[in-house]
Amino acid sequence: MKQTSNLLLTLVFVLVGVTPTLAETTLEKIARTGTLAVGTRTGSPPFAYVDKQNEWVGFSIDLVEQLILPPVAKKVGKPVKLEKKESTPPTRIPLLTSNAVDMIAETMTDTRSRRESVDFSLTFFVTGAQFLVKKGSAIKNIKDIAGKRVAAQQGSTNAKIIRERVPTAQLREFPDQPAAFQALVQRQVDAYTNDGIQLAGLKAKAPNPRDWEIVGDFYSYEPYGMALRKGDSDFRTAVNNGLMEGIDSGRFFEIYEKWFGPKGEVPYPMSPDVKKFMVYQAVPK
Amino acid sequence: MNYQFDWSVLWTGQSGQWLLQGVITTLEISVLAWLLAGALGILSGALRTLPFPPLRVLAAFYVEFFRNVPLLVWMFFWYFAVPPLLPTPLQDWLFNHGAEFWAGMFALGVYHGARFSEVIRSGIQSISKTQFEAALSTGLTTAQAYRFVIIPIALRLIIPPITNESLNLLKNSSVALTISVAELTFQTRQIETYTAKAFEALTAGTVIYLALCLSIAFVMAQVERRFAIPGLIARVARPEH
Repeated sequence: MKQTSNLLLTLVFVLVGVTPTLAETTLEKIARTGTLAVGTRTGSPPFAYVDKQNEWVGFSIDLVEQLILPPVAKKVGKPVKLEKKESTPPTRIPLLTSNAVDMIAETMTDTRSRRESVDFSLTFFVTGAQFLVKKGSAIKNIKDIAGKRVAAQQGSTNAKIIRERVPTAQLREFPDQPAAFQALVQRQVDAYTNDGIQLAGLKAKAPNPRDWEIVGDFYSYEPYGMALRKGDSDFRTAVNNGLMEGIDSGRFFEIYEKWFGPKGEVPYPMSPDVKKFMVYQAVPK
Repeated sequence: MNYQFDWSVLWTGQSGQWLLQGVITTLEISVLAWLLAGALGILSGALRTLPFPPLRVLAAFYVEFFRNVPLLVWMFFWYFAVPPLLPTPLQDWLFNHGAEFWAGMFALGVYHGARFSEVIRSGIQSISKTQFEAALSTGLTTAQAYRFVIIPIALRLIIPPITNESLNLLKNSSVALTISVAELTFQTRQIETYTAKAFEALTAGTVIYLALCLSIAFVMAQVERRFAIPGLIARVARPEH
C-alpha cells in the first residue's frame, strides 16, 4: 500500500515536473542505488557513439568512467557502476531535472542561459562553430550563407546565432547529425553548421571524407561542460575534483590523445592556448 | 533541487510568435494531409469492397504497405528518397520552396490514407448487401451506386472512428520535425533552446495540442449529430415508447 502511494506520489511529481523538496542529493542517490546514471549521445563521435564493435564509447564517456567515477565511488564509500542513457539536445535538460540521469556528459555547450536551469562542471573541451560544405563550395565563411539553405542541429546554440546574425539564411533544423548530413549529401541544404569538432567527426566517418570541407572561422565559442542538477554543489565538487586530478596527473591529456591524437578517432590536436586553459582550470589542492 | 517555474518565457521575446507560427504550420500540414488522406481513403476503401479482384488487390496492397511501415520511415522516404528521382531543376526549385513541408505532407497524408481506408471499408461493409442490390436494381451502374448511395451512407456511419483518426493525424504531424518542418513541437523545442525552460515549453505545446484536438472533436460531434442517420446509429435514435 505504501509503495502504491509512493508510486502515485512519484507520478504526480513527474507529471507536475517538480522533484520533492525533501529529495536526496545526487551523492545520496548514488550511494543508495550504487549507480551513476549518465545521459550521453549515441551518434556524436568521438565524444559518445556506438562504435563498430557495437560498444557505446567516446571521449566524454571515458572522462566519466576514468576520472569521475573513481572519486565518486570513494566519496560514497562503495563501488559505483556507470549506467548510460541516451540523451539528445531536446531531452537532456528534462532528463537531468527529472532525476532520470545524474549528469549529462556529451557535447553540451556551457552557456549563461543554461546555467539558469542546470549547473556545469569544468570545461572539458573547447571548439567553435564552422560549416561543412561540399569541396569547392562558394561558402567560405558565415557571411556567405545569406540566402543559402543551411542545416543545423535542433536545440543547438549555432542555430540561434545564425538566426540572429544572418537572418536571411534559410535555416533547416534536424534533430540529429545523420539526417542533417544526408540533407547535405542530397543538396537539400548548401551547408551544415555545427561545432568544428562535430564536423570533423562527421567528415572522418563519411564514405568519402575528401569530398567534404570544413570552412570558416569559429563564429561562436563552444566550451563543453558536463551538465549537473542545479544547486547540488557537493556532487559538482566531486565531479570537478575528478577532472582536476585528471588534468594534474596528465591522465586527462592521455584520454584526449586517445580520441583526438593523430591516431585517434577524429584527429583534432589541442592548441597550446586550450592546453593552458585546461591547466589553469585545475585550482591548487 | 527545486525546478523554478518561469512561465513568462512563453510570452517574452519571440516565443509567442514562434508558437503561433508552429500552430499555423501544424494546421496547414494537417489540413492538407487530411484532404489527401480522405481522398486516398475513400478511393481505396471503396475499391476494397468492389466485386473486381484486381482492384481489390491493388487497394489492399496500398493499405498494408503504407500502414505497416512506421510513419518516421515514410517521412525520411518522402524527404530523402523521392527528390533524387526528380529532374535536377525541379529538385532545386523544391529545395528552395519548402521541400520538407511537402514531403511531410505526403508522408502524413499517404500513411493516414491507408488507415482512413480501413475505417471507410468497415463503414461500407456495414451496409447490408441488399442496399447495394437495390441501388443497382434502380438502374444505377456500380460506380453510380457507390457514388450516390453506398459512400454517402458509409461516410455518415464512420464519423466517430474517423474523428479518432483525424486527431491521430494532427498529433502525428509532430513527426515532421525530424525532417525539419517547423511545426508546433519544433517550436516548443525552439523555446526550450532559447530559454532552457523545458517544462514550460512542453506544457505550452501540450495545452495547444489539447485545445486543437478538443476543438476538432467538438466540431466532429456537431457534424455527427447533424448527419447521423436515425435508425442506423442506435445512440442517436433513442427508443421511443
